[in-house]
Amino acid sequence: MTIKASGVTVQFGGVTALKDVSVTLERGRILGVIGPNGSGKSTLFNAITGMVTPTAGSIAVDDVVIDELPPFQRIARGLARTFQTPRFDPHVTVHEAVMCGFYPVHRTGFLSTMLRFPASSLEERSFRERCDEILSEMRLAEFRNLRMSELPMGRVRLVEVARALANDPKYILLDEPAAGLGRDEQEMLSAEVQRLARKGVGVLLVEHNFKLVRELVEHVVVLKEGKQLIEGTPEAVARDQAFIDIYLGSTGR
Amino acid sequence: MRAILNHRFSSALIVLVIAIAIAPIVMNSPLLLDNAIIIAIFSLLALSAGMSYGQAGILSMAPAAFGAIGAFSTSIVTIRYGLSPLVGLVLALVLPMMLAYPMARVISRLSPMPLSIATLLLSMLLELAIREGGKFTGGYNGLSGVPPLAFAPGAEGMYVLAWGLVVVVVLIYANVTDSAIGRAVKTARHDPLRATADGVNVPALLASYFAMSASVAGLAGWLYAHYMSYIGPDSLTLHVSVNVVLMAVIGGAGTLLGPILGAAFLASITQFLPARGTQGMFFGAALILVLLIAPNGALGTDWRKLFSKSRIGPRPPVPVTKVAKVEKQGGRA
Repeated sequence: MTIKASGVTVQFGGVTALKDVSVTLERGRILGVIGPNGSGKSTLFNAITGMVTPTAGSIAVDDVVIDELPPFQRIARGLARTFQTPRFDPHVTVHEAVMCGFYPVHRTGFLSTMLRFPASSLEERSFRERCDEILSEMRLAEFRNLRMSELPMGRVRLVEVARALANDPKYILLDEPAAGLGRDEQEMLSAEVQRLARKGVGVLLVEHNFKLVRELVEHVVVLKEGKQLIEGTPEAVARDQAFIDIYLGSTGR
Repeated sequence: MRAILNHRFSSALIVLVIAIAIAPIVMNSPLLLDNAIIIAIFSLLALSAGMSYGQAGILSMAPAAFGAIGAFSTSIVTIRYGLSPLVGLVLALVLPMMLAYPMARVISRLSPMPLSIATLLLSMLLELAIREGGKFTGGYNGLSGVPPLAFAPGAEGMYVLAWGLVVVVVLIYANVTDSAIGRAVKTARHDPLRATADGVNVPALLASYFAMSASVAGLAGWLYAHYMSYIGPDSLTLHVSVNVVLMAVIGGAGTLLGPILGAAFLASITQFLPARGTQGMFFGAALILVLLIAPNGALGTDWRKLFSKSRIGPRPPVPVTKVAKVEKQGGRA
């Protein structure tokens, strides 16, 4: 039960954004990916979810190679992701935004939806209930009817995570979820991520905040200019001179 | 108040109540009755435009062309083959769908604009085909003698049927809008990549939605043919499509009732315009006014906000990184 990316290389024209990167994400584990800006973290996400096509390498989910699958079929296999810059319609309410996340688990067809057959009605009600559950778990219930444009950035990121959770993913890819979050929001997020992992969800976490990475992650992969620099436990990585030089700078711990 | 208006059935209920309320007045005057039926038919066409443009973001120049397909198919099977208008109804619903789906599926991969141009070409090709169709389509003379509907006798019967169908379509539209599919379409229009990350097969979903809108236009064409008892190459043309899109935009293309309001408004003012040739001038002026003041249409605009914004008041807090974008949209709303 893993996502296995092996030897993934992504090129944009002449630029190599990702070179021969291999990561393995197990269910119930939290895997960290860190690296400076432009090191290929988001590209790795895009390659796994099918939003860019790798020039080499292979990606398998639960031992099934998904290289040929379009993004929506990968999502249907239990993947979910957030974006580094949250993408949302500012006019939509928090509740509606999270409701959008249920699309991969909806089963009723067009006709059933048009005529609101009992199955469709039931499904819609179950989505609403689950949505309210997720919102209260993430302590977003009080913002339920606010528009996305009225939320502070930290909450917007939490809504994005809530939206990704709606389809009950087996693996969740979080692209810098803690950027711009206040201290209490960050603690909430980290509790949520740990809870997810305990529930058996594999979490791939891209994060700049090394403190948060240390707190959450058992295994971390460091990328630099698209290449895999080192990997290991956060403690081991933090002691590595190469990592300190590129990432924490000379004043790093 | 807003909570009541937001309920799924409320839009259909509003149409139903108004249609019943004005029935006694309308039924006393043949002219008003005729207008009311025409408005219902145009409402269906405008609803079709609202679905494709307001929801899916596809500016279709073919609602009237899909209507013409519905009108001609029912005319041909009833006149030439003596079949029931109900057979015609099935064809009027299915044929536009079968044409719209593959068209949108192939082209919407690129962007909505090429699809818009494709619908324009479809309109022109169809008009050409109808004129050159010889005996099959009636050529330049069109087809007359389309039988009236036995289950909707007289103009009164047509009034009930036409507005009944508008209510049903609004109800279906509301059902779809308030569902996983409706939300996905809305997301896809705003940000296809976001919709993809939600697990949506964007081209297929937009094509299905476009097909549904084409089907509604076909329904309008079916009503048109059986009400007018005639359909010709000049009946449902590109010109009509442009008017229909205008109706949807003026009333509020993204709303459920906007297209109906727009249809009622434009069809009514047509009665008071000095001559048919000046229609374009007034319609154009109406469009420019709407786009300047309320680009989301009469029902898509928060009028209270629009008027309070001209005075200096507290602005809603906006996320820091999105300021530029939100401000732009705030200016439009």
